[in-house]
Amino acid sequence: MSRKMLIDGDVGETTEETHYDFDLFVIGAGSGGVRASRFSAQYGAKVGICELPFHPISSEVVGGVGGTCVIRGCVPKKILVYGASFGPEIQDAREYGWQVNEKIDFDWKKLLHKKTEEILRLNGIYKRLLSNAGVKLFEGEGRIVGPNEVEVIQLDGTKLSYTAKHILIATGSRAARPAIPGQELAITSDEALSLDELPKRVVILGAGYIAVEFASIWRGMGSTVNLCFRKELPLRGFDDEMRALVARNLEGRGIILHPQTNLTQLVKTEDGIKVTTDHGEELMADAVLFATGRLPNTKRLNLQAVGVEVDSAGAVKVDEFSRTNVSSIWAIGDATNRMNLTPVALMEGTLFAPDYSNIPCAVFCIPPLSVVGVSEEEAIEKAQGDILVFTSTFNPMKNSISGRQEKTLMKLIVSAETDKVIGASMCGPDAAEIMQVGIHPSSAEEFVTMRSVTRRIAAAGKPKTNL
Amino acid sequence: MATSLSTPKLSTTLSSSTLQTLLYRHKFSTQNHSPFIIFPQSLSSSSRYSSSFNLSKKALGFLSDHRRNAILKSRRFATRADSTNGAEPRYDYDLFTIGAGSGGVRASRFASNFGASVAVCELPFATISSDTTGGVGGTCVLRGCVPKKLLVYASKYSHEFEESLGFGWSYGSEPTHDWSTLMANKNAELQRLTVDVDGKLYTAKNILVSVGGRPFIPEIPGREYVIDSDAALDLPSKPTKIAIVGGGYIALEFAGIFNGLQSEVHVFIRQKKVLRGFDEEVRDFVAEQMSLKGIEFHPEESPQAVIKSSDGSFSLKTNKGTTEGFSHVMFATGRKPNTKNLGLETVGVKLDKNGAIEVDEYSRTSVPSIWAVGDVTDRMNLTPVALMEGGALAKTLFANEPTKPDFRYLFSQPPIGQVGLSEEQAIAAYGDINVFTANFRPLKATLSGLPDKVFMKLVVCAKTDQFDATIGVHPTSAEEFVTMRTPTRKIRNSPSGGKADSQAKAAAGV
Repeated sequence: MSRKMLIDGDVGETTEETHYDFDLFVIGAGSGGVRASRFSAQYGAKVGICELPFHPISSEVVGGVGGTCVIRGCVPKKILVYGASFGPEIQDAREYGWQVNEKIDFDWKKLLHKKTEEILRLNGIYKRLLSNAGVKLFEGEGRIVGPNEVEVIQLDGTKLSYTAKHILIATGSRAARPAIPGQELAITSDEALSLDELPKRVVILGAGYIAVEFASIWRGMGSTVNLCFRKELPLRGFDDEMRALVARNLEGRGIILHPQTNLTQLVKTEDGIKVTTDHGEELMADAVLFATGRLPNTKRLNLQAVGVEVDSAGAVKVDEFSRTNVSSIWAIGDATNRMNLTPVALMEGTLFAPDYSNIPCAVFCIPPLSVVGVSEEEAIEKAQGDILVFTSTFNPMKNSISGRQEKTLMKLIVSAETDKVIGASMCGPDAAEIMQVGIHPSSAEEFVTMRSVTRRIAAAGKPKTNL
Repeated sequence: MATSLSTPKLSTTLSSSTLQTLLYRHKFSTQNHSPFIIFPQSLSSSSRYSSSFNLSKKALGFLSDHRRNAILKSRRFATRADSTNGAEPRYDYDLFTIGAGSGGVRASRFASNFGASVAVCELPFATISSDTTGGVGGTCVLRGCVPKKLLVYASKYSHEFEESLGFGWSYGSEPTHDWSTLMANKNAELQRLTVDVDGKLYTAKNILVSVGGRPFIPEIPGREYVIDSDAALDLPSKPTKIAIVGGGYIALEFAGIFNGLQSEVHVFIRQKKVLRGFDEEVRDFVAEQMSLKGIEFHPEESPQAVIKSSDGSFSLKTNKGTTEGFSHVMFATGRKPNTKNLGLETVGVKLDKNGAIEVDEYSRTSVPSIWAVGDVTDRMNLTPVALMEGGALAKTLFANEPTKPDFRYLFSQPPIGQVGLSEEQAIAAYGDINVFTANFRPLKATLSGLPDKVFMKLVVCAKTDQFDATIGVHPTSAEEFVTMRTPTRKIRNSPSGGKADSQAKAAAGV
């Protein structure tokens, strides 16, 4: 996006003589915003960026440099997953000969304190990255006033106005809260990453990666976890076989699944929050987490007045170059609700027209799931010709000693005609690391031993070919 | 790692004083043979089996070049035992494999899948290998990759306990390790992977030698006190203070294992640095990280003698002096092919000076119907390579052509993965290269407070540099590979043959 902007140069509505305060003004200093700012500055642009003041829990008036990923997403999430993983590992260690005292303690406060230290450290680093690149950072709420004008409302209320040749919206997204009676008693992922105490009993509503990851996190720390979701399996949109394995693994670890279930009511009691499901079941919880989706942060940007189009969810509409319908205004990252992943936001902030095919991603449940390319269902629906599916299922060697019954599943989807891999997925330890580079051996060698087709799926309506 | 090896457990065990090798019928074989006398260890004929052996000998060993070439031509496409090709005799098997390790089992299974009749033989199982003991599964399964990895897993927990403290975990008392529990559980796992055998004798159109290798310990005074890797994987008790002689992957992996299990570890190497042959930067990095964990290195020291003291401890005497007080002295000073007593020379199979069987690119020995794969050929002694060699051979004999990858993985702690060329090899091969490196403290370590670091490196041919458009999974370490945009240094070799001129550049930020 940044390169396209600068190569385009003249955006057609201004003369060469027009002076702008900035070549580029960015609203939102998260993954996408910081990337676009730094790279544009490296190409010689004069860049300004604004961001809300720092707070671990976001709102319409607080956020922080680094954005969701650094402050209340990827980074703290992974720290908590690491913390939670030690629990079951310590159990496994006993079978390897380790004599561990029965009395093992987990101090949630200590972990969260260290988490906060780390995100503050990264927040500082991101600020330094911006200043090192010569990008001017403003603290306050940004909004768009005109095609080439922005306004920053500072903490004391004063407004600063700037003109910019290009404006970039990179305001990210926030957790949605379903309108369930008693919803004010529930928390979202923001609060979950900053709780004072470890909730001993948790009810989670949601089926996406956030719900599943938190289920694994709290369960690993020893809490009782109930996971409620509307469909039969969590992680809709992922390969069905993988979804089934994830569900089995979650149950194997002691998480109680409630498929095809919604919540109807939350009530505060002396013993905690009483949660009622649409099956009439009552669950008691110290914390109820809503993880039912995230919505783009575009409400206060004044987009309507400027004429920038958004869709029904509030996402900014953009073309393949991340340009809005107003030629001097651009948008990237979660605010556009395309693929809400940090590396994608980074890519959108860097390249011309990013390639969205074959973007790998991971769900950091325990054990994790990682995928790239098409799922089996997508392949059946979209691919031309026959599909070959190769799978390998096994209990990893480490479990042979620990006695843990938890299978790893690795899968390749291949186009029979071209013999090309069009999808790959893995659910098992280190899946995220393995899916990218296929470092050898570990479980990765299973990929290279997949010689026999597990099943072949004929293209619909085409005569079946002989294998 | 999945091991899919399984064969029926046969009940009868024949024994005799001449019994050196036991055979069993591979489960894919459908031919029914009446029990013969035991097959001797060597390939040289014995008077009892002269009829079948003369046939084999004639086919194998002492042929004129002309005859051998004629067979060579016909063999490539007529390797079935039952193919009647004029004077060709009928054989019991298309393929007979000696040694049921990685290479042998792979070649046998694949050959059988291609329709060949196959038999495999193997020594009886023991955790320590010898001239008379081995076991189905071979080094990898019984005294290599598998038990090694299990021990590495066990040893990693001490580091994990330490790390977990930074993540909020605390223990009533510090965890301690009980070696005998580990050994018992490890051996139970190995038992699950082995089979009993029976005794038979066969003739074969093709013979595959895949007997692997064994640890080599030089002849020095006190050699009888030294343990090798076989023994190290099955010690009765954990070393309190161990001297490990050697600088290769086996030495380093065991150093990591014993260090992780709370032993005091000293590593003695002849060279200045460990891991000769690996990328220089990686060699430095690994040694540094291992030292941080408390492993003590003694570079440029060659072992001269092992002395036992009156209190039962051992001292290691080197060219630089004597270090005392070891509970164990381990030598990881190389492995040699297991060809000593096979009698290969008498049938004309050529060996090199280390005893490795010489083979061509198709794994064929100097005798046209005898082949060899795996450690016995001393090419790249890695299980996946043996598997590849075995699979390729099955294709060569019963379908088409082999290929060879080049990769290397090592389970030291921190673990090293290397694929393709090292920087030094790349400079030699390509001249102009770009080197991308990342050296960072991984997220997990910022919380644990431990000094762990990660080092990653890409060596790219300058002309075809192509990593910009790759996208990574986040947050992981692997994604660092795709953030390597600016070369750490560029190396250009001028065509006139001038020295490589490297320029160091600062690594790119996030």
